[in-house]
Amino acid sequence: MRAVAIAFALAWSLAPVYWMVVTSLKTELEAASLRPTLWPQNATGVNYASLWAGSLPFVSFFANTAMTCFATAIVAVLIATPAAYALSRARFRLRVPIGYSILMFRMLPLVVLLAPLYLLLLKARLLDSFVGLIVGFTTFGLPFAVWMIKSFIEAVPIEIEEAARIDGYPRWQILMRVVAPLIVPGLLSTGTFVFMEAWNSLIYPLTFVTTLERQTLPAALVLTFTGQFKTDWGGMMAASTLTTIPLMIAFFAVQRSMVRGLASGALAGA
Amino acid sequence: MTHALARPSDLARSGARLPWLDAMVMPTLVVLAVVVGYPVIYTLLLSTQEYNLLGTEPARFVGSANYHKLFDDPIFWQALRNTALYTFGSVAVSLLLGLAMALLTDGLVGRRGRFVRALLLTPWAVPFVVVAFLFRYMYLQNGGAINALLLTTGVIATPISWLNVSLLALPAVMVANIWAMTPFFFLIMSAAIAAIPNEVIESARIDRAGALDMIFRIKLPFLRNALLVSSLLMIIANFNDFAKIWAMTQGGPGYSTTTLVIYVYRQAFENFSFGYASAVGVVWLLLLLVFAVAYLRALARN
Repeated sequence: MRAVAIAFALAWSLAPVYWMVVTSLKTELEAASLRPTLWPQNATGVNYASLWAGSLPFVSFFANTAMTCFATAIVAVLIATPAAYALSRARFRLRVPIGYSILMFRMLPLVVLLAPLYLLLLKARLLDSFVGLIVGFTTFGLPFAVWMIKSFIEAVPIEIEEAARIDGYPRWQILMRVVAPLIVPGLLSTGTFVFMEAWNSLIYPLTFVTTLERQTLPAALVLTFTGQFKTDWGGMMAASTLTTIPLMIAFFAVQRSMVRGLASGALAGA
Repeated sequence: MTHALARPSDLARSGARLPWLDAMVMPTLVVLAVVVGYPVIYTLLLSTQEYNLLGTEPARFVGSANYHKLFDDPIFWQALRNTALYTFGSVAVSLLLGLAMALLTDGLVGRRGRFVRALLLTPWAVPFVVVAFLFRYMYLQNGGAINALLLTTGVIATPISWLNVSLLALPAVMVANIWAMTPFFFLIMSAAIAAIPNEVIESARIDRAGALDMIFRIKLPFLRNALLVSSLLMIIANFNDFAKIWAMTQGGPGYSTTTLVIYVYRQAFENFSFGYASAVGVVWLLLLLVFAVAYLRALARN
């Protein structure tokens, strides 16, 4: 009974992914066939080859996405770490309100920010640039990073810091030399989370980037699908598979700290 | 030197001499003020203006005109209804599925248990846009995997064009969304079940609680908080969902899958009426605020 139910759950979870990978190995003709085949009749890598050498700058899409998402993750973690440290350890009157405001920011409907951010980037001449995109991703990455890193810092016993404090080390040094080394895994998984979320983002690239060559993968998939890939589902699924792989790697790398991360940015909170 | 390490006793002693701010939070505050605070205020401002980015006329103050227009706009109301259906429907179903999976795999331990859990989490690692295209492909009327499956098993007699029928499009998009969201609930629920004290389970076992009693009377009460907080979080996330819907249907056919996000996006970046889009955004912001406050209170109670 239970085994059958688990088998069903596995089939439900994995079948679409299986279908994506298998289709990416089919010829254009077979992928569009009226009688879908469970296994490619003539498995071919041609879909992947034409992504590499096709008319679309797929390699650029990939590099653009990797670069902006990576940069966002690093920027978010760097800016968020001192804030998280102050929010969990320092004493100042606005500590609690600021903590909650940051969490609130996290829940804002992003689309509400879209028009003003667009005008802001337009004035700053940052539309169609990586910086503009990173600014967009930061709107959700930074608040999240603050809360997640805060939970990691709170798990560090304060006694460890006390010794350094008595020795007269300034706060920055305590953070850099004592606390940060202890939460490296936490910082890495925070960065990975931010990376994943940016990788998933469609609305910002779609609005802030106007040149196709500078586009990210998700937006490029949406924009080009009406063109080259219109009926080329094999090619489409090859592109989808390649878009998925980095996220898959990132996901399973941090899967263990996933609950912890959610418990901070989300679950345990205050 | 003032080393500001917070300890309850220190806090009580120093009282009123505390500074308002701390230098270490400044970078975050400044960045968020620019990229989030300023846009929110600007949205409020824009919502009282007639501002078309393509038009030659400058922005013009129109007071509450955009809000009046909104209340008479049937598409706004439809979008609101679609948002509610999409959000609550998807969250409810994925919650049940995730919970069922967590209860099912509860007993699995060791390497095999970890492996099964990892496989069940896989959909989470698929980018939203890819989820959308994958389901679009599977929903195809001619040669789509879902039609093929339903035809072979005799559930339907003729292939259905899922995404092109107004009544079916929203549920079809929701299925894709549910597929992508279930792992989240599965993970949270698994963690919450694992956190149930062993003694509770043991004593229920000694009392010979039946399998269903075990689930409904022993385990579920322990999961209430996790259920509440995780669903509120996903409700907020689903209100904001753009990628899946846009890449699958762009809000169509007609307006049958147009949610508030899609509507705001279209108003702002297809019609370029930033003023009206902002008004819709503000109303929505207020609605979302209700859920955000509920969420924060649930957190505080935890």
